[in-house]
Amino acid sequence: MIRFVLRRLAQSVPLLLVISLLIFALIHAAPGGPLSTYLENPNVRPEDIERLRRAMGLDRPLGMQYLSWLWAFVRGDWGFSYADGRPVLDRLLERVPATLELIGVACVMALIAAVPVGIMAAVNRRFDRVSSLFAVAGISLPVFWFGLLLQLVFAGALGWLPSSGRASFDGGDFADRVAHLLLPATVLAAALSAAWSRYLRRAMRDTVARPFIRAARSRGLSERTLLLHHALPNALPTFVTVVLLDVSMMASGAVVTESIFAWPGIGSLFTEALGKRDYAVLMAFLMCGSVAVMVLNLVADLAVHALDPRTRDAA
Amino acid sequence: MTYSWLGALPLALTFAACGGGEKPRAAASGGDLLTIGYDREPDTMNRYATHILEDIESCVVEGLVVNDEKMNIIPVLALEVPSTGNGSVILRPDGGMDVTWKLRAGVKWHDGVPHTSADVKFTVDAINKGDWKPESVDGFDRIESVDTPDSLTAVVHYREVYAPYRLQFVRGTLPKHLLDGKNIDAATDYNRKPLGTGPYRVIEWKTGEYILLEGVPNYWRGAEFPKIKRLLFKFLPNTTTRINQLKSGEVQLVALVPWDKVRELRGLPNVRLNQVVGNGYEHVTLNQKRFTPFADIAVRRAMAHAVDRDLIVNTLLDSLVTVVNGPIQPLSSAYEKNVTTYPYDPSRARALLDSAGWVTGADGIRAKAGKRLAFTLITQSGFAIRENVSQALQKQFRDVGIDASVRLIDGTSISSVWFKGDFDAMLHWWQQGADPEMTLFFASDRMPPAGRNINYFKDDSLTAMLYASDRTADEAQRITLLKAAQQRLAVLIPELPLYNTAKIDAVPARLQGFTGNPTNAGPFWNVYQWQLTAR
Repeated sequence: MIRFVLRRLAQSVPLLLVISLLIFALIHAAPGGPLSTYLENPNVRPEDIERLRRAMGLDRPLGMQYLSWLWAFVRGDWGFSYADGRPVLDRLLERVPATLELIGVACVMALIAAVPVGIMAAVNRRFDRVSSLFAVAGISLPVFWFGLLLQLVFAGALGWLPSSGRASFDGGDFADRVAHLLLPATVLAAALSAAWSRYLRRAMRDTVARPFIRAARSRGLSERTLLLHHALPNALPTFVTVVLLDVSMMASGAVVTESIFAWPGIGSLFTEALGKRDYAVLMAFLMCGSVAVMVLNLVADLAVHALDPRTRDAA
Repeated sequence: MTYSWLGALPLALTFAACGGGEKPRAAASGGDLLTIGYDREPDTMNRYATHILEDIESCVVEGLVVNDEKMNIIPVLALEVPSTGNGSVILRPDGGMDVTWKLRAGVKWHDGVPHTSADVKFTVDAINKGDWKPESVDGFDRIESVDTPDSLTAVVHYREVYAPYRLQFVRGTLPKHLLDGKNIDAATDYNRKPLGTGPYRVIEWKTGEYILLEGVPNYWRGAEFPKIKRLLFKFLPNTTTRINQLKSGEVQLVALVPWDKVRELRGLPNVRLNQVVGNGYEHVTLNQKRFTPFADIAVRRAMAHAVDRDLIVNTLLDSLVTVVNGPIQPLSSAYEKNVTTYPYDPSRARALLDSAGWVTGADGIRAKAGKRLAFTLITQSGFAIRENVSQALQKQFRDVGIDASVRLIDGTSISSVWFKGDFDAMLHWWQQGADPEMTLFFASDRMPPAGRNINYFKDDSLTAMLYASDRTADEAQRITLLKAAQQRLAVLIPELPLYNTAKIDAVPARLQGFTGNPTNAGPFWNVYQWQLTAR
């Protein structure tokens, strides 16, 4: 087990190196750069642009820029933001709690909705048809559209909920924070629960069709016991893998949702950094995202390992 | 999926019924707090280092002067605006100039330390030291030294004549007693909560969420100012969210409302739309280097006659803006109204092209010596009005035998595209500085990277006029030169001016003292006077 983890971690080092090179190449291939925003401003003279280019180290060859970034990065120095000059690590860390809060709550909401729906859809054909209709809608609804719609209804027309932000500036008590969290978390949970309920339904269906369930049924077990104690544990490994992989994607921020709801997480930082071509923040953000995906992949494997005795024997 | 999003809505309703969401609306409506929906989070609050509009900064850090809503330069921390007329600008025989700034007495930094000429000198020295990253060193790099004969007088010695000297300290001064000997880039305390002399100070900057400003108790203009106790700038980068919050009352003021959102804000009972003539102009840049037919003046004049600007303004832009004929805008003291104009006249456009030898081909597109009048017009994507205007232009050019294919490019990428000259024609605007200088945009030697002459247009007589206007300290003489330059530009028409970029701000109906501002000083230039009256 420990060997397995160590082997996986060792494998991830060269992979991360390749990813970092790809990310670096991609973000530099996009037109524009950290100085693009200065070009529109008539007060910034061409001499200023040259001066800033040199001061930011953007005049050095790209290969050199990459190597110096890599060397600093492995030593824990993530550099300074091109946009505001503050340490990149500070900029990321101050955003992490908001993202964790949003993703955490959205995942819990999505699970609360997806698990019962997935189970019921697996065993009840009529319920399945109705739920699949909503699942398709949930997966297809563009997040930016659904988010703005919720804003218009609940913040605009009804005026029940704040339309954006994480807390009122002079409030911030529990009820206020919950009120701020509801709309963005609902938007995120909508798409997740739609997909997750379908995965669980599929896994449950496959399990229910297997002979051991028939055998258990013939032993006179109640449907409830059959589903929750026999079918569900067998369906869980696939489901957990999907959930953890989805969460790993979201660990890099719920980019669109955070932007619409002005949620101060790393997703909105990413949008801002992308617009300003803040290479230092983009590199750090994307590397963290890659690490998160790798770690959660590993966690998913370990979770399956724990949930499914057969994989333990294989290992 | 039944319970996915539909399942979550009842949950939302339950929480909403608990009343958790009422707070922001109530908080935003108090008379002592004004909540502003701001389109971005500032990079820094250091006015010299920021590269976005200095709206929030200007509430805290005052300039020696400011541009008012008519673009007049009026003194703030200076007692008067220096000029040749009042004897505070002296031209030296060696070609340099000395500008004397008299500072207002009794002004103190928010920590109680007096604001003095030492701060002016420190600002110049700090910027010229070159060990940090101010956005622009324009003008400062021409200053030789600063003398401070007394604590309220600063004499700035320029190596050469610098015409926009009056705006040299529009971004204020840096506090010497706080920043002397420090690395200003790394002075996070100052850059996040700057020390100023203005009506407000920063109480809290919550990253990603808001900046809260509070009125200072002993503002130098008098204890009755500022009238509004607190200003809350909420960062709302998404335009629709910003407008939604304005409608729901969560924010009360949104500066620079996009033109295509104005219709939905009209008729809102608590919102007043304040409009000022802008200091920028939308136009079509014609890159003569990349698409050589633009070097033919007949083509440029024909294109100008082919465009129905009134139609574009009255339909696509809801008459919110006005047609203009050149780069200097009507509010500027250097504006010249009497210039050659090109009224909409497609038959004249055709005749001009015919006589210049541009013959219509079988496909309806004109050509001359094998070169077709077919080019790509680039413009910014996601800017709905621009996308529509570009299509209108495409149709109108087509009517006279010119083919323009439209290509949309995202906002960040487009600047590097034009800076490299990698385009044929571009629909965009220039937001001008408060000073009417045009050299950077039209002088022959100011093509990128040396400037922003992206028409790649050359005219010796115009270039001479522009440089002469830069090298005079006499305001009247400068205006005469700039007016002549505008007339010359209109005759040569290197680009196609379309309309003025009107600035529209949505403010609370009960806000008094708000005037807006066409320059980069932004609408907060007189925030100390603003007042929310009782409902």
